[in-house]
Amino acid sequence: MSRTLRANLVTLVLIAPALLLLLAVFVWPMGYYGWLSLQAQSVFTGLEPVPVGLANWQRLLGDARFWQDAAQTLRFSGVSVGLELLLGLAIALVLHQRWPARGVVRSLTLLPWALPTTVMALGWRWIFNDPNGPINGLLQSVGLATLPFLASPQLAWIAAVVADVWKTTPFVALVLLAGLQMIPADLYEALALEGGHSWQALWRITLPLLRPYIFLVLLFRLAQALGVFDLIAVLTGGGPAGSTESLAVYAYLNAMRFLDFGYSATVMLGMFLLLLLSALLLLLWRRAAEA
Amino acid sequence: MTSPSLPSDPISGGPMSRGPKASSAGSTPASALLGRILAVGLLLFWSLGPMVWQLYTSLRTPEALLAGWAGLASGWTLANYTQILTGDPPFWRYLLNSFLVGGVSTLLTLLLAIPCAYGLARRSGALRLVMGGTLLATAVFPYVLLFLALLEVARHFGLANNLLALCLPYAGLSLPLAVLLLQAAFAELPPELEESAVLEGLSLLQRLRWILLPLLGPAVFSTALLVFLFSWNEFPIALTWLSRSELLTLAPAMARIAGSSVYTVPYGAFAAATVLGSVPLLLLLLVFQRPIVAGLTQGAIKG
Repeated sequence: MSRTLRANLVTLVLIAPALLLLLAVFVWPMGYYGWLSLQAQSVFTGLEPVPVGLANWQRLLGDARFWQDAAQTLRFSGVSVGLELLLGLAIALVLHQRWPARGVVRSLTLLPWALPTTVMALGWRWIFNDPNGPINGLLQSVGLATLPFLASPQLAWIAAVVADVWKTTPFVALVLLAGLQMIPADLYEALALEGGHSWQALWRITLPLLRPYIFLVLLFRLAQALGVFDLIAVLTGGGPAGSTESLAVYAYLNAMRFLDFGYSATVMLGMFLLLLLSALLLLLWRRAAEA
Repeated sequence: MTSPSLPSDPISGGPMSRGPKASSAGSTPASALLGRILAVGLLLFWSLGPMVWQLYTSLRTPEALLAGWAGLASGWTLANYTQILTGDPPFWRYLLNSFLVGGVSTLLTLLLAIPCAYGLARRSGALRLVMGGTLLATAVFPYVLLFLALLEVARHFGLANNLLALCLPYAGLSLPLAVLLLQAAFAELPPELEESAVLEGLSLLQRLRWILLPLLGPAVFSTALLVFLFSWNEFPIALTWLSRSELLTLAPAMARIAGSSVYTVPYGAFAAATVLGSVPLLLLLLVFQRPIVAGLTQGAIKG
């Protein structure tokens, strides 16, 4: 009895410091937002918190900018993550081949993922520049008109998707590659003996066995994409005309520019609920796919 | 399992392991090879093209950039680099700050994560299950949501504009992934190993220091690299905690450069900044490709 007690105590001592920091960094903030979303704390209250009940939440429901940003964030996330999955799978299949200098190719492919987002967001701003960037240079050299990638609400979000796909596809590819390496070779041999060809192998062996990895990478990437901040902040700043503004950028502006902390916390929680809903849908989808 | 010189790669060479491009029925070896070269070439162009363009831009004069493709013989310059390296503060200062924050955050994370992972790996049942789920949820959590609350912490305890204090939230944010990776590594060690060490009379600390950690070297190193990368690249918290320009880490410094008008439009100086900001990571990736990939894939398999 005293021995189990001692063992429990040792475990507690071992995990307590990490657990405390986790509570402080992840759990306390959400509780703080819960409280702050029920306060008015802005320049109108002299930056002091004043209880206002559900006023912030009522404002959120009727806030067109919040819902527009929510739709834009969902559109960005859905398109980005979908493309990343397709492209990541193709890259994983290429990297899975035996190939001289495969290690070097793999590290070079991984480079976009390893760089700070803000660094290459600045780089992409130049690449999309109108008229001096290389894409517009190419368009001009074949006699086409230049495109205002970052100045047009129709094009700017696509530019953001391209930069995001460029940056995060290596991660997706690597996780899927790990999954590919776990698939036993005899499965393919057996199908080859039956006379099946490569496309059948992809549909009947590779994709079904890759499903857990696809799900994991979808969950992770979707959560990150819904929180997109760094890329938008540097590439477009949310513009033009708010057409690329994400929920995280809106929450940031509310706190740091409009100094409306109570509402910023409400936006943050609204975003969190949206995230939970997406994760839940993904879980339901997986359950349906498994059944 | 992730080494490029893998002795037996399970399915490569087989007729159905080729990528979609090279896999059309009845393809001859020559056309398959061509398809592969094309696929890898395309892949490298996509991954490296934007970087190469930055390098090119950083070495051109403003006039040469505006002139377009003509006249590659002239118009080369290092002025963009001298401009940002003699700025106030000089650009290397940001790299140094990022290096300091990355290093200290990594040490702090390991210091907290190793005991926690060991404690969890020795247990079974409810505690491990609950902690496992919590760690996974927090590892996936988009941490940008936390910046306002963490800023409140910084205000309350006077931690703003302090590079060492910034390592605290970084360690907290890195803990979920670090503990998950290390816990999986601890769980793979045979329990007999520790039992015999207990019989030898080694204390818990001695066992960790002399028996367990040496065996976990590769896992600890992979974890350390991923934590370092995260801390090096982190943006929203650095943006809100740091305001003095000589304390900025690389990520907020890039954002500030992007927003400043000192650097005029043809982007020579911007590009020089992106190149200088990328080189340390390029080196890190080329030297430590294997442990980084190992860490990422372990995270996916065990997570």
